[in-house]
Amino acid sequence: MTPRRQEDYTTVKDAFAAAKHFIMRLPGLATVFLKNSIIGYLFEAKSLKDAVIYTKYWILIWASILKFVVKLIFKRGPVGAFRVIRHYPWLLRFFSTTTLLRRLTRGRKGAYLESTALIIGSIAVTLVEKLEEVVYQPEILLINEDLVPPEIGMAMGLNVWLVEAMGILLPLIHSDASENYIDEAENAGMNPDSCSFVKAAVGMIIKNQQPIGCAIVSSNMPCDAGMASYTYIQKAYDVPIYRVDAPYNFHGERAETLFVEDLKGMIAFLEEHTPGRMDWDKLRKICRGRNRMMELELELWDMMRASPAPLAAEAVWLSHLWHFYMFPGHKEAIRVFERLVELARKNLDANIPAVENEKYRAVLWNPPFPQFPDIFNMVERAHGITLIMDSMSYNHHNPIDTSTPETMLRGLAQIIMHGPMVRHTRGPAENYLDDIFRCYKQFDLDMVWIANHVGCKGGQAMNGILREKCREMKIPLLILDYDLVDPRIVSHEGMLRQVDDFMETVMKARRPAAAPAPQ
Amino acid sequence: MKVFQDLLETPLNYLVEQAAADGRIPIGYSCSFVPEAFLMADKLFPVRLHAPGVAGTEIADIYLSNFICTYTRSLLEFAVDDRFDLLKGWVFVPSCVHMQRLYDNLEYLKKPAFSHILDVPRKVTAATLAWQTEELQALADKLASHFGVDMSHDSLNAAIAQWNRFAAVIQAIGELRKPPDPLITGTEFHRLLMAALVSPKDLILPKILDFKKEIEKRDGIGKFRARLMVTGSHLHDPELIRVMESQGGLVAADLFCTGSIPGFMPVEIGMKTNSDPIRALAEHAFKKTLCPRMMEDFDRRLKTIIDTVREYRIDGVVIEIIKFCDLWGVDSMPMVAALRKEGIPVLKLEREYAPGGEGQLRTRIQAFIESMGK
Repeated sequence: MTPRRQEDYTTVKDAFAAAKHFIMRLPGLATVFLKNSIIGYLFEAKSLKDAVIYTKYWILIWASILKFVVKLIFKRGPVGAFRVIRHYPWLLRFFSTTTLLRRLTRGRKGAYLESTALIIGSIAVTLVEKLEEVVYQPEILLINEDLVPPEIGMAMGLNVWLVEAMGILLPLIHSDASENYIDEAENAGMNPDSCSFVKAAVGMIIKNQQPIGCAIVSSNMPCDAGMASYTYIQKAYDVPIYRVDAPYNFHGERAETLFVEDLKGMIAFLEEHTPGRMDWDKLRKICRGRNRMMELELELWDMMRASPAPLAAEAVWLSHLWHFYMFPGHKEAIRVFERLVELARKNLDANIPAVENEKYRAVLWNPPFPQFPDIFNMVERAHGITLIMDSMSYNHHNPIDTSTPETMLRGLAQIIMHGPMVRHTRGPAENYLDDIFRCYKQFDLDMVWIANHVGCKGGQAMNGILREKCREMKIPLLILDYDLVDPRIVSHEGMLRQVDDFMETVMKARRPAAAPAPQ
Repeated sequence: MKVFQDLLETPLNYLVEQAAADGRIPIGYSCSFVPEAFLMADKLFPVRLHAPGVAGTEIADIYLSNFICTYTRSLLEFAVDDRFDLLKGWVFVPSCVHMQRLYDNLEYLKKPAFSHILDVPRKVTAATLAWQTEELQALADKLASHFGVDMSHDSLNAAIAQWNRFAAVIQAIGELRKPPDPLITGTEFHRLLMAALVSPKDLILPKILDFKKEIEKRDGIGKFRARLMVTGSHLHDPELIRVMESQGGLVAADLFCTGSIPGFMPVEIGMKTNSDPIRALAEHAFKKTLCPRMMEDFDRRLKTIIDTVREYRIDGVVIEIIKFCDLWGVDSMPMVAALRKEGIPVLKLEREYAPGGEGQLRTRIQAFIESMGK
């Protein structure tokens, strides 16, 4: 018999210690589980009505997930379903969607609670629809960069898949969800200082965990890293690609004409390389739906100008980010905005504030915190800071004129070129700065938050000017350092500490006795 | 050679001062998409912006942050330190987000009397070529109106002819790197080229011609272990190349903004239907600049590198990237893979704008040369 090595004893010993450690932690884990489960919520619910609202959306989310799973097993069989899960292991992350519901609704009640639950529920419903397109109709899947108008692909009968979308959605649910994709991209040679959002998308492709699609449409927006990454993506997928090019000087007729011609080129390319054919009536319908969403959002904004605000946080930023970028004109997206308007109206009429102790009204500039969305909930409870607006939602353009194909393309061109991630990353600095000050005035705000994503060079390089301008105008400014999707760069505790320090030193507010800890 | 070294000691050298004293107008630029010939019309002359000997970027860091490339920060630091005050104007390109924000911060901190941003598209089509032509025309009109200079077709044609003559001399010297026993080192060539880019062409040309005669009399430059090609971000200080060559890696070819491949190809004018000098310059800028900012140029850039490797008998390629440059940083991932697939050894070097860390660089170059079995 071969004598046992020292390492064998160590392994057994370690396994025993690990098992013991796990057993010892069981009560704690059970407490956390209960606290974050529906049972925990039901114990904490502020009223029976809140409990009903929460339960309704909890069921909706689980029903959407189960619908996807059952349909998958039914259509593909257990082995086929297993293969799909193995190909896209991140799908398993969505089984925890209700924890997002739990985290973001903590301490909220009534219409505000419902607005948050409504959006998370809608994400679950629309995501399942998108995933089904990926799984069942890969032959008409168009890989669409996040700032290229998805309306065009949709009108052409193609299923549009945003490669970057999971980079936002997965960390919302699990803050560490993108870490291994980021590491994968860096190990493959991508510069570590580039945007983690881009690295996460590339990492998923390297790991072969993204659908391939029949063609790609990308652009020079919003940043150099995003644009350059499509060279790699195209090489990896080996499918035809079309790149739209938004000019730096995007104001005026000349730029619009150039961009519209580019969009026409994209349509011609898609007709040549994909089964899609442009259906202008369908585009008209989508554009009308988008206009309706915008109309409702403007109505919501009007109500948000009231102090205290009738809704806040996810009702503003997440509703826009998910529905306008992923599902413009979609019936579910319209329904969400209709309901948000109803909820805001209800609170406004009854003079009920979304945040009970609203003390400070804030705008968040640059993309919100996908890997730590809880921060808004926490600071509203700790400091009474209410998120009224964010830069990704703060569009100001006209509705799309749907009278002719030309006017529709022109409308889409304007939306893209004047959209937040485009207008703020090009043209003179005024495009960036003036929007902040305009928003500050329009919504009667008390402070400006800059989401200072370390990978966003364009934003970083504006902080010096912004700091001085804010001082001149006596606007409290918080530049909050963080990484868009990588929580290892600045911890959640570190982010909260920055808020506390700002509140204490700049706003002269008392530090909360026991600040809520990250969940 | 010392004459070129002296010209690189300060951001605006004595030839620039001499020309300015003669009533000529120096215009600064930082991107190869600004056609040099365009800024040679009438009394204008172009000066490539560089920041030799930059020791720190404390002020620029406050405004641009520590996450912006050190070239951009160095330029801002020099600008706020009045080191570019002799310049009468600046022409920028939104080459990358760093350059865009340099323009924004410069406008805020120290607005030049004349500044212009040339909106160069990121892909080449008939429509974007027309756009680029209009952009150059707008710049020509602005220069004419601000400085009272002659930007007519005749004046531009004359400038192009002058630039073509100059480019031919540079190309001829660059060709001397091609044979197995070259007559010029990479350090010498790069020093000469950088001096040419930061000086008035007519004033430096006699010195270049003298140097050319001198090197043509040489027997050779000695033995090197390997022949290297360098590609990547802005490379202004020849020190990096000197360190590579000190380890036995002769830099026989280059593909970067201040290199000669393919940066010094002549402007095609008067040929075919191309009689409009502004249109010719627009086309030329797209042809002679191979930068990852151009969305659809990867294959052309790759092919140029591969062709150069074969033509110049290159043993290995060094991709040098200034830290925080997203364009080269992201682009290098598929580029390294594509070159290795062709059997070409590649070394990816991350560096700062100002030379530093010589010991580390030496080690990496030695290891690279050894890995090639040289």
